Amino acid sequence: MTTMFSTAFRPLGSDRIDPFLVVLWIALIAIALIWVAPIIFIVFTSLKTNADVMGTGAFTPPPELFTQNYPDAWQRGNFATRFANSVIITLVKVPVGLMLSAMAAYALARITLKGKKLLLLLVLFGTMIPFQVMLAPLFTLVNSMGLLNTRLGLFLPYIAFGVPYQVFVLHGFFKEVPHELSEAALMDGASHFTIFRRIFLPISLPILAALLILDFVSTWNEFAMALVLLLDSKMWTLPLSLMVFQGEFGSEYGPLNAAIVTTVLPAVIVYLIFQRYFVGGLTSGAVKG
Amino acid sequence: MQTFKFVSAAAALASTLGLALPAHAQEVLIWMRTPQASEAKALKQIMTEFEAANPGVTVKLDTRSTDEHKSALRIAATSKGGPDLYYMWTGLGLGGDYVKSGLSAPLDEYYKKYKWADRVRPLADAYSNLYPPGKHGVPYQVNAEALYYNKTLFKKAGIETPPKTYPELMVTVGKLKAAGIPAITFGGSVNWHVMRLMDAILETQCGAKTHDALKAMTVKWTETPCATSAFNEFHKWASDYMLKPFMSFDAAQSRKLFEAGRAAMMLEGDWLAGQLRSETKEAENFGVFAFPTGTGRLYGFGVNLYLNPYSKNKDLSAKFLDYFISDKVQQEHLGAFGALGVNKNVVHKNLDALDATWVEMFPKYNASFVNGDQGFPLDVTTEYFRVINSVAGDTMPPAQAVATMQTFIDKRRQ
Amino acid sequence: MADQVYQVVSARTASDPAEGFSWRGAWHAPLTQAWLLLGPAMLIYAVFALYPMVDTFVLSFQTWNGLTPHRGFAGLDNYAFIFNDDPVFWLALRNTVIWTFLAVSIPPLIGFGLALAVNQQIPGRNAMRAIFYLPVILAPIAVATMWKWMYDPFFGLFNQLLTSAGLQGLIKDWLGDRQVALYSVFGAYVWQHVGFSMVLFLAGLQGVNQTLVEAARIDGANRYQVFQHVTLPAMSTSITIVLVLSLIQSLKAFDIVYGMTLGGPAQSTQMLALWAFTQSMQIHDFGRGSAVAVVLLLITLAIVVPYMLWRMKREEGQG
Repeated sequence: MTTMFSTAFRPLGSDRIDPFLVVLWIALIAIALIWVAPIIFIVFTSLKTNADVMGTGAFTPPPELFTQNYPDAWQRGNFATRFANSVIITLVKVPVGLMLSAMAAYALARITLKGKKLLLLLVLFGTMIPFQVMLAPLFTLVNSMGLLNTRLGLFLPYIAFGVPYQVFVLHGFFKEVPHELSEAALMDGASHFTIFRRIFLPISLPILAALLILDFVSTWNEFAMALVLLLDSKMWTLPLSLMVFQGEFGSEYGPLNAAIVTTVLPAVIVYLIFQRYFVGGLTSGAVKG
Repeated sequence: MQTFKFVSAAAALASTLGLALPAHAQEVLIWMRTPQASEAKALKQIMTEFEAANPGVTVKLDTRSTDEHKSALRIAATSKGGPDLYYMWTGLGLGGDYVKSGLSAPLDEYYKKYKWADRVRPLADAYSNLYPPGKHGVPYQVNAEALYYNKTLFKKAGIETPPKTYPELMVTVGKLKAAGIPAITFGGSVNWHVMRLMDAILETQCGAKTHDALKAMTVKWTETPCATSAFNEFHKWASDYMLKPFMSFDAAQSRKLFEAGRAAMMLEGDWLAGQLRSETKEAENFGVFAFPTGTGRLYGFGVNLYLNPYSKNKDLSAKFLDYFISDKVQQEHLGAFGALGVNKNVVHKNLDALDATWVEMFPKYNASFVNGDQGFPLDVTTEYFRVINSVAGDTMPPAQAVATMQTFIDKRRQ
Repeated sequence: MADQVYQVVSARTASDPAEGFSWRGAWHAPLTQAWLLLGPAMLIYAVFALYPMVDTFVLSFQTWNGLTPHRGFAGLDNYAFIFNDDPVFWLALRNTVIWTFLAVSIPPLIGFGLALAVNQQIPGRNAMRAIFYLPVILAPIAVATMWKWMYDPFFGLFNQLLTSAGLQGLIKDWLGDRQVALYSVFGAYVWQHVGFSMVLFLAGLQGVNQTLVEAARIDGANRYQVFQHVTLPAMSTSITIVLVLSLIQSLKAFDIVYGMTLGGPAQSTQMLALWAFTQSMQIHDFGRGSAVAVVLLLITLAIVVPYMLWRMKREEGQG
């Protein structure tokens, strides 16, 4: 704390407190308060009875903690099944998808291959096309394969739309790995599989972790594809059930807000624990290269 | 590890394919939207009884939420699969779409064999005659929508009895407005809710025949003056008598506001009676009367069980339908499928005031006019919603509404 | 451990006959290995991402209601319809343009300001970064639900706050009034997306040469001059990237509109992505829906392709 304050408000290379920075700091605190206000409002509402929601101010803490909203929402929204669905899809899709992306990225970065440039271009292209545009043909395709309402039917498009960004980021990373590291092994006759697994995977753990976390959150939050590919409520993921919950119990504010909190909580926890990886995962793809 | 995942993925694929196989030889598979608790209980009992009476037969029920149910049927249709019987709203836009696409087997033969005409209520029977030449579907339920009112608020505004004609209704809403009470509440974010008012006003202004022709798009909206006056009238309601704001909340929220006494009336279905009983402490404070259209038709819609032409068990399915609409079953489960049964031979007993009003109201009508979103094809419905909401939101003059409707209809793909 | 594996592998390779085809030789050919590594990802990507995109183009020249087994040929009918007769298409396009313009200007601007601010020596800056970034990781559909509730005309946050501040005159039906609904939805979008720009700008700021900044200050340059002549030029790449990414993201806006208004009231918040979905999946006119999708796709391509060329040139320039 003391070290933090010994440099606080002092511009680099100066040891005088800069009044401008103090003003800036106060302004930032005000903005930060505005930024968390919606979250506080949602959490407070989720802990109020319906009477208190209508009777007390928005930022008045709940007069009594009404935790019943949570089991209530959990049960009525059938969240036990849907939470499990989200967990299964995320836990399977994220590691498998990332592994496939890493394999492809390695091949594109380190193996001489005709048409590599075109493939890379195709991948880069994929990072920018909006899948929201293709919901109907995607639905038709998955339907024609008989995979509607199945985990596999969701899992494959999820991978397809996750691959470009991951391949792109990892390709950039693998390309920078010094050639000496892999050449010796190649000389020894090691296969690319071995080099990939024994050399490249271990050294890229930090960036893999970053992509993993990032992908966890986007898979957990995905809504549009799940909306068209999962018609059977038994298969629904959390974002879908939140939407339905809003439709059915939109006027019961306590349980509705409890449902919101339940839906976002896992992503928030992951974010708070792995914060620094997020920035790494985001910026390595966008700013580098 | 990866191998394992792919194996399990393949297994998942196999199991879904297995599920997609057609129903077994002696099974009747029914698809419907998620039933309410009492309805589900009744269905289960009916199915069990039918199975007991027909050894070797199983009746299976798959339920989904409304939108899923519609989608699931469309998907099944593309693969010529699906259930033996399915639940579907009647009307051109919903059931009609399926009939037109060849997804409903005509039932004339079974109507004759089982003499269904002798027991089906005329109001309900009308819905299976919507798609001549054949008869399509057997009535599952009939629903109607009418004006519920808050007795306390009516009294406060000095209204003695519910209005019987449209001019009387206008006097009533005028009195409510004068007393500072919002006359009626709608949830504007779900388009079909506000639409009900427009439907009722169209029926009032145009009369049965013209209204039907407008909805069937056989006369031009622009050449039918009553359509313009209906939009004018609707605009007056929206600007003077509706609880505002209303565009950003849904039907359920509007119901809560009605229950809390924030508005005097609500144009709702017969099912609201049950909700009022369970959600308010004093259901007796509410009454119900038909929207006084003056055409002798009730506002409402029907739901039929349709027979899938791809069904392998048509005769057995028809036998189940016969059992379902039998006097015995319908009497025993009266009320489980709506206030009024589809069988005209049933006797109602021990009803509360609201339900009694409904049961009294139904037989007075032999015909009904259907909700706009069930009468129109889907694309026109979408446009109808947009026009209604624009008029209600003051962004489209009522005079322009008919032109907009007609332009869209003229440009449709035939 | 690693060495052992290499030895085993090299021993096998050595025993392979050099001439003629052998499975083992083929397995070890770099080309085979490359395709085994590339194959799964590329196959899935091609089937589930590229093919549907191609199919969007194909469908846009067909008529199909999703019910009949066969699709009919429509020629340019679907395009003629959406351009000439669809009462919502132009509105959706207009909204998409407005939305994109706002999304490219406002969140990056705020994000840039915040990035500059939290990059200073001030206490608690890490906590502030965490707070500003937090909304980014929330599910858009959850953000939509949250904000819909905050906009509730009777019990929501905004009208409550306005009432208690004595500003009843400013109370609005935030999502029900067609004049303001689009901007109300955008408010939620800003809240969610500012953190994204901020983080990218922060990363860019790490690349600003601090020695230069110090030198400039010693030379007596004021804060604004330093910003203008040192920071801003160094940030030009970051700015381009943030703008392009914001633009692409804004074209994809779907969840938040779906969750808050479904395009209403009276289609006034309708946008191309949602309108394509509505036509295909709700009205069941796959042809028209795909035609709308193609328009959006072409707009996206018009932005993406030049950007990709620029980026590749830069990469090559860097060697």
